[in-house]
Amino acid sequence: MAATLTAGAPARPRKLLASRRTRVGILYALPVVVYLLVLFVYPIFSTLLLSLKDADGSFTLHWYADALTGVNLSVLFTTLRISAETAVLSLVFGFVLAQAITRLKPILAGLAMLIVVVPHFVSALVRTYGWIIMLGDKGLVNETLAAMSVPGAPFQLLYNELGVVIGTTSMMLPYTVLLLYGVMRGVDRRLMAAAASMGAGRVTIFRRVYLPLVAPGLASAGLLSFILSLGYYITPALMGGPDQTMIATLINQQVTKENQWNGAAAQGVILLVLTLAGLLLVKAVTSLGASRKKRSAS
Amino acid sequence: MAEFGVATPSVKVVGAKSATATGKGLSVVALRKTYGDVVAVDEASMEIAAGEFVTFLGSSGSGKTTTLMMIAGFCEPDSGTITVGGLDVTRLAPQKRNLGFVFQQYLLFPHMTVQENVAFPLTLRGVGKDEIRRRVGETLEIAGLSRFAGRKPRELSGGQQQRVALCRALVYRPPVILMDEPLGALDKKLRDQLQVEIKTIQQELGLTVIYVTHDQEEALVMSDRIAVMRNGLIEQFDTPRELFERPKTPFVADFLGAANFLPGRIEQQDGEHTLVRLDGSGGLIKARRHDLATGTHVKVAVQPGRLRACAPDDGFCTGTVETATYVGTLVRAGVRIDGKDAPLLRLEVPAGRGPVAGERVGITADADDVNLFADEQAG
Repeated sequence: MAATLTAGAPARPRKLLASRRTRVGILYALPVVVYLLVLFVYPIFSTLLLSLKDADGSFTLHWYADALTGVNLSVLFTTLRISAETAVLSLVFGFVLAQAITRLKPILAGLAMLIVVVPHFVSALVRTYGWIIMLGDKGLVNETLAAMSVPGAPFQLLYNELGVVIGTTSMMLPYTVLLLYGVMRGVDRRLMAAAASMGAGRVTIFRRVYLPLVAPGLASAGLLSFILSLGYYITPALMGGPDQTMIATLINQQVTKENQWNGAAAQGVILLVLTLAGLLLVKAVTSLGASRKKRSAS
Repeated sequence: MAEFGVATPSVKVVGAKSATATGKGLSVVALRKTYGDVVAVDEASMEIAAGEFVTFLGSSGSGKTTTLMMIAGFCEPDSGTITVGGLDVTRLAPQKRNLGFVFQQYLLFPHMTVQENVAFPLTLRGVGKDEIRRRVGETLEIAGLSRFAGRKPRELSGGQQQRVALCRALVYRPPVILMDEPLGALDKKLRDQLQVEIKTIQQELGLTVIYVTHDQEEALVMSDRIAVMRNGLIEQFDTPRELFERPKTPFVADFLGAANFLPGRIEQQDGEHTLVRLDGSGGLIKARRHDLATGTHVKVAVQPGRLRACAPDDGFCTGTVETATYVGTLVRAGVRIDGKDAPLLRLEVPAGRGPVAGERVGITADADDVNLFADEQAG
């Protein structure tokens, strides 16, 4: 905002305006700064402090030691594994769906996007129960499979890792589809025609032209669903068994059942660090790819 | 780029063509394409020789782009055949035709550098790494782009991007390179410069090029032959000189030469000349011999640059100068002819000897510059 106010000013008086611009800038930024301080910085710091405090108020690291040993550590690994599986699956399904939608006529594409996004307005709890009804031993899926006399039916589709991943993937799908659809729409179709005119077949065009152009979208969509899954609570709790306990469930248990705030805080901080690490990783990978390209060209 | 600046586009290399041509010939037979009730291309046929620069010239909707797209394989013809170097490619997918294509919008791959863009078609053909580096370097050198090899397309100007696109289309030496208004998005000065560059590269490498444009001047400057298209039909397929001086239809005379048209009737013919009595002014104009019967109603077509002002009553008609506009080396004059209907003739005469507004002048033209077309409507 502040930049647009002075953008028209000629180069010479810019210095004179600089101090005024800074003052105006601070004024504009104030609401955001206050908002961030109150709603993000304060809670995060108090959680951090809580996780470093012993029962008597002295400094300790044993909450972290607890969180990273025994059952807690395996819960952490389960969380990472399920999140990764969810990210990959929602990326694959999201890619296929978004790809299909970009090929539709505009009206149909709008309708398809609505169908993808609308379920998201329904409470996650309701949707999860919907899945439970669908996937149960006497649910629609198993009944259909049994009617088609598929060997092995009914399958165990609930209260195991498969159930959790089905649930979380369906929750993440709107995000990946929305993100990927936006990126795919931005790809100039005529680039494919150009590649074809030079002799590239469908597979080559997809691999060497289309995929690199949508890659940034794939990275951010995958990361988003991974991060969102890390902290997911309802679906894993209801659709998984004891082996699928995820870190959010554990935190909830510690606070509500054991009144153990310090341990919960330590696990919350670990979750936050993992999320940030994921973000940095994706950023590092993409910038590495870019710099390698630059070097090979010169 | 400096090495191309001195080249004159009008230089013909007809004699050298067969020896140096790296391109191949192309033939189109009875090509037809309809969209619903609209006939986009109607039975187009032509033979294009190896190393020839051919332009499809026409306004939008003339079928020139559709014809090009059918040759490229982006659009399937209803009927007809296309052969490249003797091979029937009519039903082949674009990627199987091994042609080059330069688009108006450049369409460089944004995630690749200039080097990678130009190397792309070579990597598809399994060319070795060293060979790719050598050929890409060579091609970029020709277009004066060597120092941009490491840049991304978005870091280049429009003209540079189109040069890269040209390199990408010719680096694998396709038998025919197709260009769809490649200079349409560039400004006039750059367009003129690139016209010369493209023409020079085409001649040096002996490329077969099919070029689409709606710009008459561009077509005249670059082409060995031009196919003038209208409503899906090829009106005339000829050298620029033939099209300009011996148009076969009134449309071609108007489109390329912006000719003046006067109605008349053939009065007399001998071995060399045809005499036409003009309808309005009653003047007699001498044209070169046309194979039309005496008494035929005709349209007389003469280009503004081929008319001359002379003393009143010395020419085939007389009139009053209404406007005289100085445009650098030329004066453009509008002369209102005496007599019934009083048509306005447009003249282009060298500046200095130009007429002034209000002056009475006679108008004359060499018989060789006067074209006649049978006028069906007056029949």
